[in-house]
Amino acid sequence: MSFIRIALKNLLRRRLRTVLTLCGVGVGIAAFVALVGFSRSFEDQWAKLYESSGTDIAVVQKTFLNTFVDESVGEKLRSLPFVAAADPVIVNLMDLTPEVNALVYGWPAKSFEMDTLTLLQGRGFHDDQPEVMLGEVLAENLGKKPGEIMEIQGSPFQVVGVFRGGSALEAGAAVLPLRELQKLSDLGGKVTAFHVHLRKGAEGESDQERMQKARADIEAAFPGLKALPASVRARNNQLVVLARSMAWGTSVIALFIGALGIANTMAMSVFERTKEIGVLRSLGWRRSRVMKLILIEAAILGLVGGCIGVLGGWLTLRILAGLPFTASFVTSSIPPLICGEALGISVVVGLVAGFLPAQRGARLSPVEALRYE
Amino acid sequence: MSECVLEGTNVTKHYDEGRIQALRGVDLAVNASEFVAITGPSGSGKSTLLQLLGGLDQPTSGEIRFRGHSLASSFDLDFYRSRRVGFVFQAFHLLPTLRALENVQIPMFETKLSLREREAKATELLREVGLEHRLEQYPNQLSAGERQRTAIARSLANDPEILLADEPTGNLDSENSAKIMALLTGIQAKRNMVLVIVTHESAIAELAQRTIHIRDGRISSP
Repeated sequence: MSFIRIALKNLLRRRLRTVLTLCGVGVGIAAFVALVGFSRSFEDQWAKLYESSGTDIAVVQKTFLNTFVDESVGEKLRSLPFVAAADPVIVNLMDLTPEVNALVYGWPAKSFEMDTLTLLQGRGFHDDQPEVMLGEVLAENLGKKPGEIMEIQGSPFQVVGVFRGGSALEAGAAVLPLRELQKLSDLGGKVTAFHVHLRKGAEGESDQERMQKARADIEAAFPGLKALPASVRARNNQLVVLARSMAWGTSVIALFIGALGIANTMAMSVFERTKEIGVLRSLGWRRSRVMKLILIEAAILGLVGGCIGVLGGWLTLRILAGLPFTASFVTSSIPPLICGEALGISVVVGLVAGFLPAQRGARLSPVEALRYE
Repeated sequence: MSECVLEGTNVTKHYDEGRIQALRGVDLAVNASEFVAITGPSGSGKSTLLQLLGGLDQPTSGEIRFRGHSLASSFDLDFYRSRRVGFVFQAFHLLPTLRALENVQIPMFETKLSLREREAKATELLREVGLEHRLEQYPNQLSAGERQRTAIARSLANDPEILLADEPTGNLDSENSAKIMALLTGIQAKRNMVLVIVTHESAIAELAQRTIHIRDGRISSP
């Protein structure tokens, strides 16, 4: 008989209580996997999007809120010698129908980013025309084809093309002419950011040196703005930061509730087994061994609850990925790292929650415990 | 002259801030291979004395010595309980979630025996107490006599020098009581162990080489 077997048998003694505790931990871990998994995959999709677009630097406001940049910045930005292209962009999240919301980009028709899209049907839009291009997933969710009319924020737009982009975010996104999106969003003369494509550097100059110099020069030329490498912008834009914060905040609360469940179960278990612990101590078990037994039981609760949670989180993401309202942002795949983190966190939660009950059990005097009724 | 294994000098034990005086200055010595019965009425302090001899508790004053070493707080009482002493309780105290074979292995977790060695030894011990056919039974599937036999096998798990039994037949009928006592005395003789039994049954006390009678926390004449 192994030590783990004793712990397992103790947990199986009160099956209903153990199952309910596992459900509690499972819900906490499922929330973690689903929310943090979603936020990571959202973050990764942003990174892919910037990577595929050819953007080297994003020029944005220094502030977190009120982040719009004056469109007039573009002319001066393009005049900088190391800038090959600097195109304005608006990023917005819009309800396209009561059921479907999507990321909506505003680009000039000749934006260098347009070159990264593969047209599957139709054509690209013309500037200043009420036209829209749809990502392939969004077009399918909306049931729209080129030539059809769709309403965006109460205004009619003609669908002119369906495209495939470099990331899942683009597959569920819509792209409008910049001016049209400015009108819809009441952003006359303002854009979210300028995406800058740099010229090739001088011979012998590394990409990193070229990037650092360009960023310093842009920030010197525009004191109110900051120039972020595309990879940093991808992982730190407002949508990603908000998604990450909400995911972690909610997960921590869910995990805390799961931990309380384990603590309660282990405290009750130690209380009920007081006499047995006295027997173990009278048979020579050291305090540390009693503590180890109780901690292993708590860790098993955490680990098994974690496995249930990973499965639950994956199922949640699968369901969300299939719903039209969320399909644009959610992919059903969970990064393996998240599963590892979730299981690690669940075991740590178990150990932390089991620590006080284990300490209480280990401190029992053999005689007192044997006398306990 | 026989070697003294357990010795108590002026042992007192008070509970509830001195309001209950369970033992009041007990002196005793138990020699190697000796079978001693401790008798006395309920509440006389005999179980308390057994607990102190087994290192389950510390005396309020006085001293218990094992082979000349004081069982004071500096002594490794866990090691003493695990290797030197085997306990048999009136209520058996088997773990309900474990089979007979598994219950017997419990004290062996404090040794370096491997899983296979533990199982082999536990099987051998259960054979020694006549339960080779009941290895896989849970305590609730065993009769009272079989449970006590399992508990006796468990008490022998780490080959202790001393076997302490607190009313080992208290929950048994007369037939099983006789069998258990035959088993305990047989083991004591075969292994040359010290056997200290707490009992209030004179028939059991008569089996012992020596009887210590306790009354009101003091050793007295029966």
